[in-house]
Amino acid sequence: MKKQYNIEIDCAVCANKVQEAIKKIDGVTFCVVNYILQKMTIEIDDSKDFNLVLKQAIKLAKSIESDFEIEL
Amino acid sequence: MTKKQKKRLKTIIICGCSFLFLIIFNALLKLDAKRFPNGISSIIGGKFGFILPLFLYLTVYVFVGKNVLKKCFFNLIRGQIFDENFLMVIAGLGAFTLGIINGLYGGGGEGFDEACAVILFFELGEFLQNYAVSKSRKSITSLISLRPDYARRLTNGNEEIVDPSVIKVGDIIVVNSGEKIPLDAIVIKGTSQVDEKSLTGESLPKDAYENSAVLSGSINLTSTLTLKVTKNFESSTVSKILELVETATDKKSKTERFITKFSRLYTPIVVILAIILAVVPSIITGNYLTYIYRALNFLVVSCPCALVISVPLCYFASLGTASKNGVLIKGSNYLDVLNDVNTFVFDKTGTLTKGNFKVTKIYPENKKQELLRLAYICEKNFNHPISKSILNECDFDLDVSTYTVKTVLGQGNVAKSESDTILVGNALLLKNNGVSAPFIEEDGTVIYVAKNSEFKGYLVIKDEIKESSFASVKQLNDCGFKTVMLTGDNERVAKSVSNELNLSEYKHGLLPHQKVTELEKIITNKSGSVCYVGDGLNDAPVLMRADLGVAMGGIGSDASLEACDIVLINDNLTSLIKAKKIAKTNSKTVKQNVAFILLVKALILTLSAFGLTNMWLAIFGDVGVSLLAILNSLRLHKND
Repeated sequence: MKKQYNIEIDCAVCANKVQEAIKKIDGVTFCVVNYILQKMTIEIDDSKDFNLVLKQAIKLAKSIESDFEIEL
Repeated sequence: MTKKQKKRLKTIIICGCSFLFLIIFNALLKLDAKRFPNGISSIIGGKFGFILPLFLYLTVYVFVGKNVLKKCFFNLIRGQIFDENFLMVIAGLGAFTLGIINGLYGGGGEGFDEACAVILFFELGEFLQNYAVSKSRKSITSLISLRPDYARRLTNGNEEIVDPSVIKVGDIIVVNSGEKIPLDAIVIKGTSQVDEKSLTGESLPKDAYENSAVLSGSINLTSTLTLKVTKNFESSTVSKILELVETATDKKSKTERFITKFSRLYTPIVVILAIILAVVPSIITGNYLTYIYRALNFLVVSCPCALVISVPLCYFASLGTASKNGVLIKGSNYLDVLNDVNTFVFDKTGTLTKGNFKVTKIYPENKKQELLRLAYICEKNFNHPISKSILNECDFDLDVSTYTVKTVLGQGNVAKSESDTILVGNALLLKNNGVSAPFIEEDGTVIYVAKNSEFKGYLVIKDEIKESSFASVKQLNDCGFKTVMLTGDNERVAKSVSNELNLSEYKHGLLPHQKVTELEKIITNKSGSVCYVGDGLNDAPVLMRADLGVAMGGIGSDASLEACDIVLINDNLTSLIKAKKIAKTNSKTVKQNVAFILLVKALILTLSAFGLTNMWLAIFGDVGVSLLAILNSLRLHKND
């Protein structure tokens, strides 16, 4: 399932770091963190629990950029 | 401005004023050189007099830098050492420490103002960057914020205002003059004019009358229209456009990807260089204070933010300007490909020409009705432009249920009933079915008609060239690009069109799969990229094979949307020319930004290494450069 979210991320370099880190999470098949549009698009394998993996991704994002916020 | 931004600005202003006050106060005190030789330090005086300015500047520092300090701490405990916040804090605290050491050695506490300035201007720079980006984001997305907010649904004579997403296909809606049409629909009552400017960039209003189709996102101009919805909100033109544009910036160009890789290396490299600069010369000369100070300067320019923000912003602004002109580019990388294109290959029918074939001649004249009837049988229920033109010429209706009609690709249609076989197509169709016919040469496409192996006559069908094609091809030729036409039509028609438009080359008589082969030949023979422009109907393979596939004629067909890289919403080739110019300006601006940023950063690093510059200049250079680059990128977003 692919979903797009509005996010708040202050640093452009961090946006890239977050994107690359989330892509490595097991179950994530696609992820783009768009700093300019302040949107994150994420696609999670249907065999996984979407919300669980999403939570993992958000936690990871916050550990890289503590001001990361997402509109769920 | 958001609340967060306002709060940030307030903090910066208050701290900035306090900072200015301290500086001025310090300078004024120094005027009285006898009593206050060391400015604020002399208020307490003595060896530890520097504690007062230290305390004052440190307070301002902590206030303005609280966010930075907080982020730095949190990121540090998670192991992020090459974090910009951490490096800035080191630079600032380092400068404070140097000031303390200076004070302890009787220097009077110099350098606290510089240390404070590091964080103050860093924070100011971050704020301005953030503000500029969010402003540009709002204004660029508003260009394409064609999204209608409401719809007036008519149920049982009652109008109710609802969210467009709840409207179903077949629902009746009413759109008053001045309102945005919320969904793709057909007019069932009313006559008006609609403005499609925000969709296609066309400023000429379009007529809307009973049974005409209108697009979501266009504005109803003159009078109220009652419409029957043909597509739900998600499938309507507006939503499709928005989705396309919003995901376009997700697809990164080569330059953007390079910048990302570069930025990941840049910070660690600068930090390592800083450490070397702090340690090695200090060991050699013993002047460790000097070299630590210079190394701290390095840290100030260690953030590649300027590149990482301004370059994607260029692409974003350019994509936005293109959409405003009715050109939807599916990815930032395609903008670069478009810039590289120097050969344009066109489909003929529907792309260079209007695709509205007209029957111009029927031979023999006295057999006109019979020929038309035969042709009708073969062409009824077919959507091909040629079929449509023939059917348009027929002012009668026939029952064709006794016939089975088959299409032979590239040749024509064959209709078979129990008693008769009718052939309507080109000379090849007749030849392959054993019907002998004279070779006809006419100015246009010749459609032979045969019944039961007997040649009965022919129709001549002509296709008009679009007016906009003349101007577009001329512009392309003038720029030195190659213009090529690929068509399934016969040589005579192809040659005539090619001569009229002054094309560099043309290839005729091509079946769809042959078009791909021809395109491949062109690609191997030319340097630079090759762009194919078609209307998508059976152009999907060619669109995909080209370096750049451009589909014309709107967002109608899903096949064209999938296969192409650029969509031209209106039928005008001139918007493609505009897009080419946008691509060129984009590339130029990106290069300017990258060169400017790298040059200035290299300059600051070099000057810092040799002690020819101080922290003020470094901060100014870093923040100022970033802002200038961002402003340069924003120039690409033109407000017409």
